[in-house]
Amino acid sequence: MAAKINGPLLKVEDLTLRYLTRGGEVRAVEGVSFELEQGQALGLVGESGCGKTSVANSLMRLLPDNARLAGGQVWLRGEDIFALEEDEVREYRWRRVAMVFQAAMNSLDPVYKVGQQIVEAIEAHEIEGTISAARERVARLFRLVGLDPALMDRYPHEFSGGMRQRAVIAMALSCDPAVIIADEPTTALDVIVQDRILRELKAIQQQLNMAIIYISHDIAVVAEVTDRIGVMYAGHLVEYGNTADVFRAPLHPYTDALLGSFPSVTGERRPLAGLSGEPPNLIDPPAGCPFHPRCPRATQICQEEFPPQAWEGTQWAKCWHPMNAGAEAPSDVELEAASDVGIVEQSAHGEGG
Amino acid sequence: MTGYLVRRAGQMVLTLFLIITFAFFLVQAQPGDYATFYALDPDIPPEVKQQLRASFGLDKPLWEQYLIHLKNTVTGDFGVSFGHFPRPVMDVLVERVPRTAVLFLSATVLSFYIGFFLGKAIAWRRGGWLEYTATISGATLFTVFTPAFALMMIWIFAFRLGWLPVGKFLDPLVWRHADVSANYVFGQMLLTAFLFTAFAFLVLYLLKRTGRVGLARWAGPLIAVGGVAALFVWSFSGVGGLALDILKHMVLPIVTLTLISFAGTMLLTRNSMLETVREDYVMAARAKGLPEKMVRDRHAARNALLPVVTSLVYSLVFAIDGSVIIEVVFSWPGTGLTLLQAVRTEDLPLVMGAMVFIGLFSLLAHAIVDVLYVYLDPRIRYQ
Repeated sequence: MAAKINGPLLKVEDLTLRYLTRGGEVRAVEGVSFELEQGQALGLVGESGCGKTSVANSLMRLLPDNARLAGGQVWLRGEDIFALEEDEVREYRWRRVAMVFQAAMNSLDPVYKVGQQIVEAIEAHEIEGTISAARERVARLFRLVGLDPALMDRYPHEFSGGMRQRAVIAMALSCDPAVIIADEPTTALDVIVQDRILRELKAIQQQLNMAIIYISHDIAVVAEVTDRIGVMYAGHLVEYGNTADVFRAPLHPYTDALLGSFPSVTGERRPLAGLSGEPPNLIDPPAGCPFHPRCPRATQICQEEFPPQAWEGTQWAKCWHPMNAGAEAPSDVELEAASDVGIVEQSAHGEGG
Repeated sequence: MTGYLVRRAGQMVLTLFLIITFAFFLVQAQPGDYATFYALDPDIPPEVKQQLRASFGLDKPLWEQYLIHLKNTVTGDFGVSFGHFPRPVMDVLVERVPRTAVLFLSATVLSFYIGFFLGKAIAWRRGGWLEYTATISGATLFTVFTPAFALMMIWIFAFRLGWLPVGKFLDPLVWRHADVSANYVFGQMLLTAFLFTAFAFLVLYLLKRTGRVGLARWAGPLIAVGGVAALFVWSFSGVGGLALDILKHMVLPIVTLTLISFAGTMLLTRNSMLETVREDYVMAARAKGLPEKMVRDRHAARNALLPVVTSLVYSLVFAIDGSVIIEVVFSWPGTGLTLLQAVRTEDLPLVMGAMVFIGLFSLLAHAIVDVLYVYLDPRIRYQ
């Protein structure tokens, strides 16, 4: 499939997703937009339940039955993926967008040999004509991810955690996808294996010039391997920019809090700054900015209106009071902020009692 | 694995010995013995009665009788049936066991397939009309009073509609001028069924061995050709009509048995499948772009199969000792009926022979399923 339109490889625009549950409609993803170019690595970070995995599953067209696409579009190479018919979706999955799963330990079927499970994907997409050719391809992939090709004929339970993770990466690469989504790719592994696999995955990504989306709650993991970073909170993409910029000078108070809650090995010794409170209930999210109940900078307007994008070069945040408020924040906002502190405290007391 | 099999065989011998011992003393624990029937006849003089008991060996002490039985069983001598005198026990069993086995094996396999397919279908698409229909009718049939249901089936299909024979193994009118015995025709039928199954497996295996993607779709037509060829040979064999008569007699009991038992497998498969569909590897299979049918059959159902196979063992054992109720209602001359009569008349040699047979079969079925498990679940290894 050749590119029909000149433009980004992957373009997500205003993606909005709901889950219908017994308790009500869960507003899982709210107007998320981003773009991804060939060879680029994007990180999506946020707490559990912030909608990262829902975004990933939408990109795979792999949503549960109770999910409803409430708005937005996703184009891959100019092709609207939500317009695909059922047969085309099957073609699309893995061939266009593949996934390294969150639970790599359990995403291999225990009753089949590991190699066979990768051959199965190659067979389904008719990448190779014969099984022996498909097996050769798996052997090449195994070497690429640092596994002995002889392990192809072993069962998943005979693999260690790290080996399984590598096998799952080989599986994701098996059909030459345009985009790979790595959903918490290393969470279940110990730190040393985690670091090694991340570095290898990055090397493979650069070697094959693939686009990759890392999804993690661990901002440190994402920082190492991505060019761009998107921070998600309560279904919204609240900050987006070059990874280095976001790390150096986060705009959104939530990003700042996330960065503050991870220890730095090489940096100065400092107490870890936790973030109090819990993520909001997405069935009935707070009005205005969803972060305002936990935000130290929240003011009256944060409770009333959803914030616009505040830009700082190529970096933006959806916030009324971005962190480096120097350049663009008008002075009356600061004044308002000062006068509203009392109200915020009161409401906080009210909730506590 | 070899070590395991050797140990397993040892356990089986021990278990079989226990089965024989228990069966012997249980039958002996009944009041009287086989000669009691004659002993009650006032026309027989006491000394003749005594002689009669002596000739059956029933005057010997219990432990001596037991030891004689044990010795004979070990040497493969099952003796002569008291009730079917002078036919040897082996002769009676060789005639009866295959009839029961075929009936119940067919019903077991059929209800296993129907149960498994329905179970996985209703677990895959929840809440549809199929789920309600299958669950309600399956559970109703599973719990219905068997003799009443069997009689109802006979009443509808044999009596009112007249589609099928009422009971028994064959129709004497059809066989009046036949120059072959029923056992011969039945044996040939079994042979055909066995060869056909072997052929089907061979075709599947060979097509898989070629390693060509997409070649597997020829398996169905090839197997069908084999089936047609078998039917062709039978229709020119001259005994095709006789075989058809036996088949006709088998339909009603098999359908009845299948109907009352498929729900067990169905509900078990459904529950097992509801757990496997939530597994990550099923989601991964779908993400890989596999067709839904493959996701369901190769991944979700394949893993759901494991606990279901365990339940199959018990049905297999059922396949040889039969069901007295079904055999009585359908006048089917099988093991269940034979064993019941033998126990009631204290036909010791026949009881013991049947017990050894049933015990051996159930032990083998368990062993086979344990070995099968190794192939079904690679995580299981015996040492």
